[in-house]
Amino acid sequence: MSSAQDGFAELLAPYVLGALDEDDQREVDAHAASCDECRKELAELREMEAMLGTVPPEAFLDGPPDDADLLLQRTLRQVRDERTADRRRRSLTLGAAVAASAAAVFLGGYLAGGGSSDSQAAPAPPPTTTGAPVTATPPAGVRAVSATDPVTGARLTLRMTPAAGWVRLNAAVTGIPAGERCRLVVVDRSGHREVAGSWVVGRAPSGGGKGADLDGSAATAAQDIASVAVENDHGKTYVSASV
Amino acid sequence: MSQLRSRARQSTSDEALVRALYEEHGRALLAYATRLTGDRAAAEDVVQETLIRAWRHPEVLTNGKGSVRGWLLTVTRNIVTDRYRAKASRPTEVAEVSETAAAPSVQRDHAEQIVDSMVLMEALDQLSPDHRDVLVEIYYRGHTVTETAGRLGIPEGTVKSRAHYALKALREKYARRPGGTPARLQEVVV
Ligand SMILES: [Zn+2]
Repeated sequence: MSSAQDGFAELLAPYVLGALDEDDQREVDAHAASCDECRKELAELREMEAMLGTVPPEAFLDGPPDDADLLLQRTLRQVRDERTADRRRRSLTLGAAVAASAAAVFLGGYLAGGGSSDSQAAPAPPPTTTGAPVTATPPAGVRAVSATDPVTGARLTLRMTPAAGWVRLNAAVTGIPAGERCRLVVVDRSGHREVAGSWVVGRAPSGGGKGADLDGSAATAAQDIASVAVENDHGKTYVSASV
Repeated sequence: MSQLRSRARQSTSDEALVRALYEEHGRALLAYATRLTGDRAAAEDVVQETLIRAWRHPEVLTNGKGSVRGWLLTVTRNIVTDRYRAKASRPTEVAEVSETAAAPSVQRDHAEQIVDSMVLMEALDQLSPDHRDVLVEIYYRGHTVTETAGRLGIPEGTVKSRAHYALKALREKYARRPGGTPARLQEVVV
């Protein structure tokens, strides 16, 4: 006879949970001694009961603690402090990288445009990307552009070094959420696309995305490049710089 | 400019995240930490550290509420255990929790405990409130069937059948956990 049929089924869980009065307990004991089904069922329920023990009773309290506003304020302050420290660290390394490339680079004040690609259906507000002209002495043919997308907040600072029919790229990319699988896409004037590199955005200690500094290359002649974009693996464009 | 704006937005969302965690889980965490440490001030430190760790691991927070609660509680316990392990005398309750409640998990490492706890809390969270209430009254508050019936205003027979269903459902959900540690959960272990 199955435990569901013999009327004991409903007593087994309360029994295992220790909630039965003595009479019911004795009844279950007596029955289980002669019923394999119920014994088996009891063994399984006991395993689950043991697992329940890993959850403390406090787990079922909800809401904020009483009289603990200071705790919240202290925690928020620590978050702010750690964020500031992290940002300072980040801007130091990134600033240094950008300064180094800027020094070696000619930039005539290319204004980058086109924050989102045309293939995106979402009617994003017209992106008015801001360019950052940098003045420096240029090695021949090296160009630099920089663009910030006002919608995504992503920033791309790019240096392009022409080779024979292809191009070397160095890109500093910031402002993309951690975990995004990104690629640097070079688009030529006829719309042909080459992926110059790909990476996964790391996580900064603050939880935000880490900036990336990467070198890549594309089989596109430097003078044919129309724009360079940072996209994720679903084709979302985070930032695009016109060249 | 837009960078400045996005920084401001980021720091606002950081604070909103911590505040939301505090609002939803603060009572549970502080009560638990207070019991483990036996000291309200120490408990507040532990909860602060727990919230900070959650903020550093936002990927944890994409899981369900139960998983998040399980993760936070386990982190709280691990912080207490680590801090007090250094001292000669550990608070009795810590010993109780690890030895009676989770006998097998004493040998396991923190990582697996966290995942277990997340899976179990998630399963508990998925029970209907009626079933969960009965389980909480009986198991976690230590009431008898008769007491639980009185407290919840339902017949004793209903208490028994709900307790039975709850434990069975929990076992179902918990057993569905794939053989190993789910990869997604493994990543969030601190
Ligand atoms: Zn039986």
